[in-house]
Amino acid sequence: MLKKTLSSIIVCLTFVLNIQAQTSKADSSEMVTLRIDPDAARGATVSQIFDEVKFIPLETTKESLFGSISQLRTTKDSYVIYDYDTKSVLIFNKDGKFRAKVNSSKVVADANEKDKQVFYGFNLVKNKDESLIRISSGKNYFFFDLDGKLIKKEAIGKRTAEDRYIKFADSITTIAPFYVYKNGKDSTNYEIAILNDKKEIGLYFPFESDRFEKDQYIGSGNPLTEYGTDNELFYVRYYEYNLYKIKPKSVSLAYRIIFPASISLPKNFMDMTEYKKKRIEYFEKNPGQIYGISNPYLIGDNIYFKINIWGWSQDKKNALVYNLKNGDLTSLKNLEPDARSQFLPVTDGGSFYDFTNNGFHSYEEGYLYTSYSSLALFTFKDLNAGKDRKYDSVLTKFFETQNKKSNPIIIQLKPKKN
Amino acid sequence: MLNLLKLVIALIFAMAINNAMAQQSKPSLPGSTKGILRDTAHNYVLKSATVSIYKMADSSLISYQISNNYGEFSFKNLPVGVSLRLDASHVGYQTLRKKFTVPSDKNFIDLGTLIINPKDNTLEEVTVTIPPITMNGDTLEFNAAAFKLDSNAVVEDLLRKIPNVTLWGDGQITVNGREVKSVLVNGKPFFGGDAKVATQNIAKNALDKIQVYNTVKDKNNPLDSTLTVNLKLKKGKELGFFGKIGGGYGTDDRYEADLSFNVFSPKMQLAIVGASNNINKSLNNVNTLINNSTFKGVGTNVEYQPDFRASGINQPNAGGVKFTYNFVEKPTWENRNTVTSSYFIQNTNNDYVSNSETTTSINTTDKIYEQNSNTSSNVNNNQNFDARYDLTKKNKALTFSHNFSRNKGESTNETFRNALNTQNVLTSTNNTFNQNSFDNTRFSFQVDFRLSQNYMKPKQLIKSLNLSYMITVNDNENNRSNLTDFISVTNPASNRRFDRRYETAYNSVYQQMNIELPNLKSLFFGNSNLGGIDFELSNSLNLNNRKDDNQVQDLNTATNNYINNAYLSNYVETHYIEETPGLTISKSFYKNLSNRYNKNLSLNFSPKQKFIRQENRSQRSFQNITRNYQRFMPDASIGYTDNQFGEYYKSYSLSFNTKVRIPSLDQLAPLTDSTNLYSLQRGNLNLKEAVDRELSLSLNHYDQTNKNTLNYNLSLTAGFTKNQIVDSTFIDDQNRRTNFLTNANGNRYLNFYGDARKAFKFKTSELQINLNSQISNTKTPGYTNSLFAFSKNFNTNTSLTVNYTYKSYLALAIGQTYGTYRSEQEAFNTLYKGINKASTLSSSYNVTKKFTLNTNISFNQSSSSNTDDINFTIWNANAVYRFLKGNNAEFKLSALDILHQNTNIINYGSGNSFTVGSRNVLQQYFMTTFSYYPRQFGKKAPVKK
Repeated sequence: MLKKTLSSIIVCLTFVLNIQAQTSKADSSEMVTLRIDPDAARGATVSQIFDEVKFIPLETTKESLFGSISQLRTTKDSYVIYDYDTKSVLIFNKDGKFRAKVNSSKVVADANEKDKQVFYGFNLVKNKDESLIRISSGKNYFFFDLDGKLIKKEAIGKRTAEDRYIKFADSITTIAPFYVYKNGKDSTNYEIAILNDKKEIGLYFPFESDRFEKDQYIGSGNPLTEYGTDNELFYVRYYEYNLYKIKPKSVSLAYRIIFPASISLPKNFMDMTEYKKKRIEYFEKNPGQIYGISNPYLIGDNIYFKINIWGWSQDKKNALVYNLKNGDLTSLKNLEPDARSQFLPVTDGGSFYDFTNNGFHSYEEGYLYTSYSSLALFTFKDLNAGKDRKYDSVLTKFFETQNKKSNPIIIQLKPKKN
Repeated sequence: MLNLLKLVIALIFAMAINNAMAQQSKPSLPGSTKGILRDTAHNYVLKSATVSIYKMADSSLISYQISNNYGEFSFKNLPVGVSLRLDASHVGYQTLRKKFTVPSDKNFIDLGTLIINPKDNTLEEVTVTIPPITMNGDTLEFNAAAFKLDSNAVVEDLLRKIPNVTLWGDGQITVNGREVKSVLVNGKPFFGGDAKVATQNIAKNALDKIQVYNTVKDKNNPLDSTLTVNLKLKKGKELGFFGKIGGGYGTDDRYEADLSFNVFSPKMQLAIVGASNNINKSLNNVNTLINNSTFKGVGTNVEYQPDFRASGINQPNAGGVKFTYNFVEKPTWENRNTVTSSYFIQNTNNDYVSNSETTTSINTTDKIYEQNSNTSSNVNNNQNFDARYDLTKKNKALTFSHNFSRNKGESTNETFRNALNTQNVLTSTNNTFNQNSFDNTRFSFQVDFRLSQNYMKPKQLIKSLNLSYMITVNDNENNRSNLTDFISVTNPASNRRFDRRYETAYNSVYQQMNIELPNLKSLFFGNSNLGGIDFELSNSLNLNNRKDDNQVQDLNTATNNYINNAYLSNYVETHYIEETPGLTISKSFYKNLSNRYNKNLSLNFSPKQKFIRQENRSQRSFQNITRNYQRFMPDASIGYTDNQFGEYYKSYSLSFNTKVRIPSLDQLAPLTDSTNLYSLQRGNLNLKEAVDRELSLSLNHYDQTNKNTLNYNLSLTAGFTKNQIVDSTFIDDQNRRTNFLTNANGNRYLNFYGDARKAFKFKTSELQINLNSQISNTKTPGYTNSLFAFSKNFNTNTSLTVNYTYKSYLALAIGQTYGTYRSEQEAFNTLYKGINKASTLSSSYNVTKKFTLNTNISFNQSSSSNTDDINFTIWNANAVYRFLKGNNAEFKLSALDILHQNTNIINYGSGNSFTVGSRNVLQQYFMTTFSYYPRQFGKKAPVKK
């Protein structure tokens, strides 16, 4: 009996040591603490924040009609968007002209699938100047060119976490979220693994594989964001206000944000056992507390990010820009349109829902992208009635030929770096 | 008469349009202003702030609006050269106050950028003025204090002042064109939930704010949200009382008396009511009494009138209590715990007198005329006690309810009937005298449990469940005596005379058990999608056990005592079992384009199998009938909704239903009572069950634009019956009828219903138009003297109502109803038709704040193909004077049916006959009424504003 107990203790110990040995710790030596009170965020004119503002109405035809943009990526000469309403990927030229559409009719359904096989997003595979749209549907990857032509089809094989892997520009480093580390028969789950040619060089934030069954984890969007700097990513953990920076060699805690106590989760939030599996109940009772941050972008001296609370209100200043140099905090919902934006709002925050729901779609090649509906644009234009506003040729033509039911508009913004 | 109406409508339209035009072309107030609100501390413009403009001299509110996305505001129709004040307010900001005057030379002033400062948290700011309207998250709030009204105003008067709100003539409330589905007070239904009780009683001064928001009722269908209005009372005003005590006396000993006393606290509501009258004001339950005793305030109302159309003279006395207790002070749709109980006692005396003539075709050439003169008087005593307990927690709901009622009474009825032949010669008479006393009790108990899907637990096998059980016990006792004299002119040998007594009693126990298991897809098919198809299993079991004990005695004229009638005295037990297992297969298609539209198509198919067993045990062996029925009864429905953002919401539905009606023992093998010679009932053992199949289509349209909305509903129902149980009537020349029953095919019906409403809101007046129409077309088979004939009936009923209100001084309502009937039997070559028309003009004029004149006139015309037109006019008028502080006392002089013409017309057709005649009605009287309305909101007497 004793023997058995002893041996099992030893087994346990070796197991624990094993994990200890593998797990890397996020470096916090260069951590910067930011104290942010969203209520104190100020407004600014559009031209104080952005150097360029461009409205790109997307062409409306019978074929190209879609609902709203839930994913947007750019290539050299086109926009690729995903629309949840029509479950399709649409490709538009940079001038907004419709180019092609990929929907379920263009992907071959699996043998055992009787219905049309829909998909819920896309990946842009960039290869030098060429870009391919990769759609994961059923058991296959489908690769399309920007004219919507099927280029190739690959079996995904066993569906793994590899779908989510992000390759760095250095072409050797891969960031693997939700990585399962295997050591003989044992395996450990990590939120982040850094792989160098398939070899683990860093394993961060271990977690129990059944944690999502044991408790409620409410995310605030994609935890990994690219912010336009090569070989760098931001990572955000559940119920934390920290921005981790992932680089080819390590993960470091770059920014720790402290909000006023009244709108912060209690420090021991995850230890509050009375709310185990009842996190939502807690948020319902404390609708003003921030349960997560999302969409962080580091652009020059500015950090753009979004705060998420349960109690939703259009008045809340939840999309913020913090200037690391001078500490200025600007609310993006309170930007004042000026000549640079043709006296039109650059987001629909505060009036409609696209910006509130999605934040910025992406930050690519020095530009932030957001979008809003024709309904919103026409509403904003109607508010300018009688003020002798002049619109550029694109918008003039749009207002003349389109209506409130036309396709959404992409807004391309070039943020200032300082 | 119709011409007069047309003229009046045209006049009103002209008035309204003039009014509207006047506003557009030449605004009475030429001034305008604009400006921008800016928070310089945060360096941005202030959106959604409330900007109100007041007249400096008397602080009266002129106009208000919410600053737009650019922080701008812009006002028109302002007075020129007058000192004005602008208040801008927003949650978290100090109220900004600015004095200005619109210069008379330019009629315009640009206020430029106004700086508004954030509230300093360390300073307790004294709120100077409250903005009339605020957006609080998704809730639109109207602040009572910002609207200046008479100190006696009620909530309804306030609602009339709000530009986005329409109060319809029929009591419905719409906000921005959308129908308000429920009106709550502090989050709870108020005294039974009728909006009127809250809006016409609660003093405007007790009200903090009116909140308007959307409630998602059904988690399964979040699109199905309803608009709710919550009346939030001021702190300290959550408890109070209101009511009415009143009495009136008039000519012909007409009287009325009302008492209604209602107390409420945050958790409890108690109502005590009582009433008595002999002017046909019906008193059916506690809520009717509460609803008809509202304070109403000083607004103009087209007064509630005694029912001059009700037939007979009714003298009801009633009283009751109703009690509600909310264990949860602020109930939500997922947390509710309420007990409600009420007791009601009612005593009614009715006197009816009617005279009519029915013409029946018995073949292509011959007709029978039956002249009927009927006098009846009834005394009825009703008691009703019920209680209900509701418990709702998250996705579970449990309800217990019971109801006990007792109905006791006596009636006497005397009927004289003469039958005449085609040549108008008397052939027979049948006179009856009935005396009846009864004592019926009914008890029912019901329990319901509903478990709805918990989206937090997607892996649950049984996602939802509905269970219900109901038991109803009836105990009826009836004693009746009947005297019948049938005298044949043509054949004295067939003369009959009866003196018969009946003692009948029955007891029935009815039980109903239902179980429904929705959302079963994942239970059987796991996570597979199945193309969006879902399943529901259901089972319904009904059991009915009934015992009938009938003892009948006849007078033996020789011995002058009553002896048992061995044929009619009987004891029957009936056991009825109905079992219906069913399956529902459903599939939904959604089409959604963000910010554009939202469409949903749902298909349901419900195959059901119904098994029925009817077992009769009787002392008469020919009544020992046991029958089993089973039938496949598929139901199906298609629903389609189309929501075009900011334009309209449309819903269509098409459904197919099957119903089965089995013949009762009385239809199969009745014991024929020979006293009613004009209608002898015979059975038919070969009767089959009738099967109804019905197809119905409906369309609803809700306008979602903000102004002058048009809403309409249409529905069309078509049905056909296989094996309809119909009469095969044999009529002899003395109008003696024997009805045999038989099955016949070819019964069809087509019904149409439509209504449309449109409102025009002008600056000082409002016009509402309401149209509704009903059309029914039926084809009924039947046999008359062995001749098979279809009788085709076509009935229509259309009414148009136009309501016009001018400020709070004048209310006008014009109504026109037009009804037609047409009955045709091709086999007999007969056609009966008739028209009933009524034009009504009601008006109410507030001469002063305390004195109101109401008048109401209706022109009625009834014409029929075979008789002369009947025209009569009812004209009622009254003068109301309110006095005492708070207008709590009311003195009213009323004159009703001033022209003394009220008549109640019988004019209808059915099958191969039509009937015309009249009944006794309430006629001219004059009355003086005094009423006192005790009311208090909050612990102290209402503070004068």
